[in-house]
Amino acid sequence: MQTSAAPVLQLTDIEKIYQTKTIETVALHRINLTIGRGEFVSIMGPSGCGKSTLLSLMGLLDEPTHGTVAVDGRPVQSYSDKELAGLRNLKIGFVFQSYHLINDLAVLDNVELPLLYRPGMGGKERRQRALAALDKVGLSARTGHFPSQLSGGQRQRVAIARALAGAPEIILADEPTGNLDSVMGEEIMDLLLGLNREHGTTIVMVTHDEQQALKTQRLIRLFDGSQVG
Amino acid sequence: MLKHLFTLIWNRKRANALLIVEIFLAFVVLFVVGSLLVYRWQNYRAPLGFAYEQVWEVGLDPGIQPKAERYATQQQIIQRIKSLPGVRAVTRTGSNTPFSNSHNSSNIERPDQRIFRPPSNVYRVDDAAGDVLQVPLEEGRWFDRRDDGAPVVVISHDMKELLFPDETAVGKFVVADGKKRIVGVTATYRADGDFADPKQAIFLRNGLQDTTFEHLETLLVRVQPGAGGALEKQISADIRAIGPSWSSNITPLAEARDKQMKTVLTPLVALVITCVFLIVNVALGLFGVLWQTINQRRSEIGLRRAIGASAGGISGQILGEILVVATFGLALGLLVAAQFPLLGVLGVRVGVYGTAMALAAGLVYLLTVICALYPSRLAAGIQPAVALREE
Repeated sequence: MQTSAAPVLQLTDIEKIYQTKTIETVALHRINLTIGRGEFVSIMGPSGCGKSTLLSLMGLLDEPTHGTVAVDGRPVQSYSDKELAGLRNLKIGFVFQSYHLINDLAVLDNVELPLLYRPGMGGKERRQRALAALDKVGLSARTGHFPSQLSGGQRQRVAIARALAGAPEIILADEPTGNLDSVMGEEIMDLLLGLNREHGTTIVMVTHDEQQALKTQRLIRLFDGSQVG
Repeated sequence: MLKHLFTLIWNRKRANALLIVEIFLAFVVLFVVGSLLVYRWQNYRAPLGFAYEQVWEVGLDPGIQPKAERYATQQQIIQRIKSLPGVRAVTRTGSNTPFSNSHNSSNIERPDQRIFRPPSNVYRVDDAAGDVLQVPLEEGRWFDRRDDGAPVVVISHDMKELLFPDETAVGKFVVADGKKRIVGVTATYRADGDFADPKQAIFLRNGLQDTTFEHLETLLVRVQPGAGGALEKQISADIRAIGPSWSSNITPLAEARDKQMKTVLTPLVALVITCVFLIVNVALGLFGVLWQTINQRRSEIGLRRAIGASAGGISGQILGEILVVATFGLALGLLVAAQFPLLGVLGVRVGVYGTAMALAAGLVYLLTVICALYPSRLAAGIQPAVALREE
């Protein structure tokens, strides 16, 4: 699958400042970043350098203090909460270090979750898509299991299946292998690389693992909220 | 989404069990209290079947006067009261006057159907009672001189429905202290008061042979609007003048009604107040549990926001969840409530149970929505970026 030059995400002059009564913390400072369609980008940096904040801004989960975020060339700062939610649902899939699976829902129900927020999609289609996503991550046999009955690697694969179920253009992964041993970490990394290679899914991954970061097409380094490489 | 909510609540049934039990208990209490209130309210709204305004009850006590003389003295008193300006009509009756909580009942039958019937209220009255109490008639007429020497009765609508449901009652006979012919059918007559259930009633005419004072020692006097203390004093004075040993006790029926209403309403109000306290406790419990639940589910809410739920969607989901929990509690409650009409637990009409069920269910839903509003707003305000990092 070829990488297209058209930017799917564009961050311009991004600043993020957390303000409390007594202290002002600059989390991100003048970040300019373009993510092309089909790219696999990794973000590295020490703890507290703003990696997760940057990912939240890319995922439209937070608003920058200054600057603009554009999806498919359209700035989203004027979008309503409902429009942003719809955009997240259609365009973006999330994978988290701690999986964020709902323990009281079976694997299949967890994977179906993003599709519940997609207007007009029937139960049958949701189920088919969720099953197909679970098949992609090799967990077809675990649909009725609950997260507590799975290993860490399996849980992360469920989380990836959940991100895939909605067929998003972008997957934002926040330290997806952070809680896994090296073997399972490799498995998950292979899965993400495969998705990018075979399906052209744009992936932005925050990681602390240099080896994994080197497997991606581009590496962005942050330090104290600024882009240093 | 609804299926998803049911799945979620079902899978969290242990965590939600306490809430479900709380809602179940609240429903049962509301249903029982609601049944009693609806029953009383429906009775209160129904017509009494007579006009109590401007009617005074005059209780007579002949004192030491010999029994043989009492009837004549009573007749003199009646004639004297009738002649007073401000008095429209006077009737002589038994002690079971309206709102008196005094009853005289008997099993009334059809001569051709000697089967067990529920007891009916029996009223001993004379020809003037129809005017004094302004009893509306559905069929036939009230007693008059044409009935002298003939055993006749007037029955109420409810007795007609019991004994002659699909036919005209006037001209038919009933067995009530002997065989008697029906000359009229009144509307439903509820002398037991505003909150009493309609009960079949029969009016027996005091015949010419009823020349004893006993059992008919009460007078009902219809006075003109505006009649007050002066007339009351005059009546008392005239009674003492005619029968020096006699005394009287005059009570307007409106006053007797008020007194009876207080007696009935006081325990009801106490019950409602207790019920309100209970419901407030349930509401606070629900509110607290929901608030705590929202705090425990911050990461889940953050996740839902990340994968496409809007703030309004989250708020709606929390409301939806509590409504589903309420539905589980109500389903249990309805199972219990359905036994009440089957077993006749409260002794009220079957329709009352249905209304009370609907009211109690509506109130429980309203209560849960009110309790969930603030926690659902809190949930909607959770910042996903923050919530997802908290774990």
